[in-house]
Amino acid sequence: MRHSRILSNFLQRYSYTINVLLALAWKDIKIRYKKSLLGFFWSLLSPLIFLTIFILVFKKAFPELENYPLFVLTGIIYWNFFSTTTAQILISVTASARLLKSIAIPSIVYPAATALASAFNFIMSLIPFALLFVLLGGKFTYHLLFIFPVTVLFALFILGLSLVLTSLNVYFSDVGILWNSILPALLYFTPIAYPSSLIPPEYAGIVQLNPLYHYAIAIREVLYWNRIPSLELWLKISAIALFSFFLGYNVFRKLERYFISSI
Amino acid sequence: MRETIIELRNVYVNFFIQKYGINSLKKYFLSLGKQKLFEQKQVLKGINLDIYKGEKFGIVGINGAGKTTLLRVLAGIIRPDRGQIKVYGRVAPLLGLGVGLELELSGRENIGLCGTLMGLSKSDIRYLTREIIEFSELGEAIDMEVKRYSSGMLARLGFAVTTAVLESEKAEILIIDEALSVGDAGFKKKCKERMDKICQSGATIILVSHTEGEMREICDRIGCMENGTISRIGNTDEIFDYYSDRF
Repeated sequence: MRHSRILSNFLQRYSYTINVLLALAWKDIKIRYKKSLLGFFWSLLSPLIFLTIFILVFKKAFPELENYPLFVLTGIIYWNFFSTTTAQILISVTASARLLKSIAIPSIVYPAATALASAFNFIMSLIPFALLFVLLGGKFTYHLLFIFPVTVLFALFILGLSLVLTSLNVYFSDVGILWNSILPALLYFTPIAYPSSLIPPEYAGIVQLNPLYHYAIAIREVLYWNRIPSLELWLKISAIALFSFFLGYNVFRKLERYFISSI
Repeated sequence: MRETIIELRNVYVNFFIQKYGINSLKKYFLSLGKQKLFEQKQVLKGINLDIYKGEKFGIVGINGAGKTTLLRVLAGIIRPDRGQIKVYGRVAPLLGLGVGLELELSGRENIGLCGTLMGLSKSDIRYLTREIIEFSELGEAIDMEVKRYSSGMLARLGFAVTTAVLESEKAEILIIDEALSVGDAGFKKKCKERMDKICQSGATIILVSHTEGEMREICDRIGCMENGTISRIGNTDEIFDYYSDRF
């Protein structure tokens, strides 16, 4: 009698957790699109401003790039994904403080829900970006299919990193502020607005310590150069993604124990 | 013979508290790592408690005695560091008014969201929505964004959602932190009627309140918490005599 009860309790708990996850993600999406489509267009404003500035300032700076506007666009799309997603997930737990103290679901549901909403927003942002891609002379070849696995690996990397930041942000309230001031520096440290061939060879070692570097290269290979990334690059971005995800997950599980008393 | 529905054996809960209010990296680095970041504090110290099926159990105690932490342990939100807890039944989420209400969404959307957070299925929610709107007397305002509600309207929506969940759900154990009573005199009466109905439903209720009258009315048995332990359990009169003598 009690065994069947334990099983049904488990199933109930499981479906409850999934329902809450989806409801929270849906809530995030709804709030974002609430002010009609305007809210969505505002979120595109910042990458478009960056895009315009880079194109205006650097257009003639890199003669080795035949189509600099397209080059910047392909970088900015993914930079935008990275910067907005990390910033949003980072506050997911602290913003849900009351819920965290009131309902019995695993805390990881909060960043997971925000991650789902961010993924949805990214996919939506691809519609205008794809339009720009065509306008700026991007080519639709079968190589573009390889952007899917690259994007999944990049998302896994972002998720892991965000989980570390999120759990630290519960204990140290200025992690968010710190991260937002690091982000612009990271944008220039990563070959987004300039080709990686421009980096002096003596600094290559340092620059390649930046995990974003490898994703930027892979994304460019596919979207700009219409090439399939080398096996070495695939291995690198896969290893970074898996490492980041497992690190993030374990740090979060370790630190979540005392979330309630620190929030 | 009474059937036990909740069993706590020697339950300990520790908190990690930020020492000296160091809650930012800046402060930590400015102290040059000299200060210890966290200190461990024992919040529950060996709780033993049996709650029986259908019982209305109250918990009293001064602020900081550990009442809310105990409720969170019972609701499965905090796992004990040491000791055992057994719960033979479905526990409704820890209910406080307005938990989960999202200001940017409309009242109707909030019913859906809060319903899900409280563990209701889609069909339950569809079935309950009309009743909630009726009970809260919000009328057409239900499709307005909640941030435009007056505080009274907000409280009524919160109460209607929370208690509709209590009524509908087949949860066997309800945990209530602080009184659920809001609004003007007329609405307060409605609240009380609904609470009475819930209390008579046969569910096990665990209630924390600072209102002696409410506790006397609802509870069969009360536990008095002091400094992380349950110092005394007894019937309502006994505990209130003891409690008012001590504090």
